[in-house]
Amino acid sequence: MDNLQIGRHISGQFNEDLERVINNVMHMGGLVEKQLADALAAVDQRDVTLAKQVLSKDYQVNAYEVSIDDECTRIIAKRQPAAGDLRLVMAIVKTITDLERIGDEAEKIARVALENFSTSQQYLLVNLDNLGRRVLEFLQLSLDAFTRMDVDAAIKIHQMDDKINREYEALIRQLMTYMMEDPRSIPQVMTVIWSARALERIGDRCQNICEYIIYFVKGKVVRHITAEEMKNI
Amino acid sequence: MISISPKVLATGSDPLIKSPLDLNNLPPEQVALDIKQLNLFYGKKQALNNITMSIPKGQVTAFIGPSGCGKSTLLRCINRMNDLVDDCHISGEINLNGHNIYNKHVDVAELRRKVGMVFQRPNPFPKTIYENVVYGLRIMGENNRRRLNDAAEQSLRSAALWNEVKDRLHESALGLSGGQQQRLVIARAIAIQPEVLLLDEPTSALDPISTLVIEELINDLKKQFTVVIVTHNMQQAARVSDQTAFMYMGDLIEYSDTNTLFTTPLKKKTEDYITGRYG
Repeated sequence: MDNLQIGRHISGQFNEDLERVINNVMHMGGLVEKQLADALAAVDQRDVTLAKQVLSKDYQVNAYEVSIDDECTRIIAKRQPAAGDLRLVMAIVKTITDLERIGDEAEKIARVALENFSTSQQYLLVNLDNLGRRVLEFLQLSLDAFTRMDVDAAIKIHQMDDKINREYEALIRQLMTYMMEDPRSIPQVMTVIWSARALERIGDRCQNICEYIIYFVKGKVVRHITAEEMKNI
Repeated sequence: MISISPKVLATGSDPLIKSPLDLNNLPPEQVALDIKQLNLFYGKKQALNNITMSIPKGQVTAFIGPSGCGKSTLLRCINRMNDLVDDCHISGEINLNGHNIYNKHVDVAELRRKVGMVFQRPNPFPKTIYENVVYGLRIMGENNRRRLNDAAEQSLRSAALWNEVKDRLHESALGLSGGQQQRLVIARAIAIQPEVLLLDEPTSALDPISTLVIEELINDLKKQFTVVIVTHNMQQAARVSDQTAFMYMGDLIEYSDTNTLFTTPLKKKTEDYITGRYG
């Protein structure tokens, strides 16, 4: 939070507005993280109750997004933020969009727990769990970096997405062999593929959050640049 | 369909977005005013410290900063208004078209014809609207009725006032509203076709709608003149100017294109000021 220097505005009301919106983003981040962790646990433990709980809580994530968006619009209208404040508000508006989408992906994953997997097909889900753990860690680190607006951490963890993409591709290759070996497994394998796809997309969205942190702190747009260029910013 | 490679976008050289001028290396033909190592003292107190900057032609340049930072003083230097202040000493140069305006052979009246100025409070003369606008031309010896009429109409149109006053040109200017008076004063300043127009907080005494009208006018004026504006209103600087200079305690802290200064300022002092952390 030190990087934000929110408490230093002459206008105490502006300080309060920004603090409130940031706190809400933290809460939303915590909720999304829990949704993903619960969804993964529900799939891993075949816990239908937990899966249903994830589905029923998605509206809370959506409500946070709408309310934070609204607060940011009000701040722009009333305070005309500039420089770092403006970049912060823009970073928040974009971050909450990605968080809301991560919530939707968690919901998709939770639905897998509601599907019928025979005991002999449980091995399919084990692979999903490994990818899930890695993505969850990526999300936790991204949110942690966002909380501290830690640009060094953001640059470092930004690269985690490459690993996730490689794991995702390996998993897809593996799942395709299952389908070729036993076409009867296709419906279940497809379910796992959609979930793996959801996890891979969460990785992309975490990467976006890292980019917003870099934009806020350094004022540089680092979207669509190579890993090599990223090292030199 | 225009396609832009992601790489081009990321490096900020998007061909669809006008790239900012390199203010440190402006080609001479684009420079309206070249200020070099300008120091100004009121008695023993130094009000401007070694200001060096180039103001580009045909653009709007804004000076912002807290009260007493020297922005109005710097603006007044550009048409030598500070000559009227006792005990004011100036060193350094301000070059207009390559000629130093502080050269002792410079005719100050002629300089002020080239560099017009509009002040915070509208100050029309207690004459008719028409006589206010043509006042400068009359002083320059222009008496041809038709030429004066044409100039009055053209200036009032440029100042976005013609439609409001065309039927009452021979009524007193003092009967106009504050916003109209300020546009009249701008019309008076541009009637003599100056090269540079200095605006010292031109909207601080006006209501928000009149302010927007003047801001719109400033945007039109830059097609014909170089405009330099001092404003206390940072959002106004952000809205109307192409370049912004942030001054603090007589120093020029940061001078860059307005889009950069208001989104990613380089200096911490600038950031603190424009985000309301100053003080």
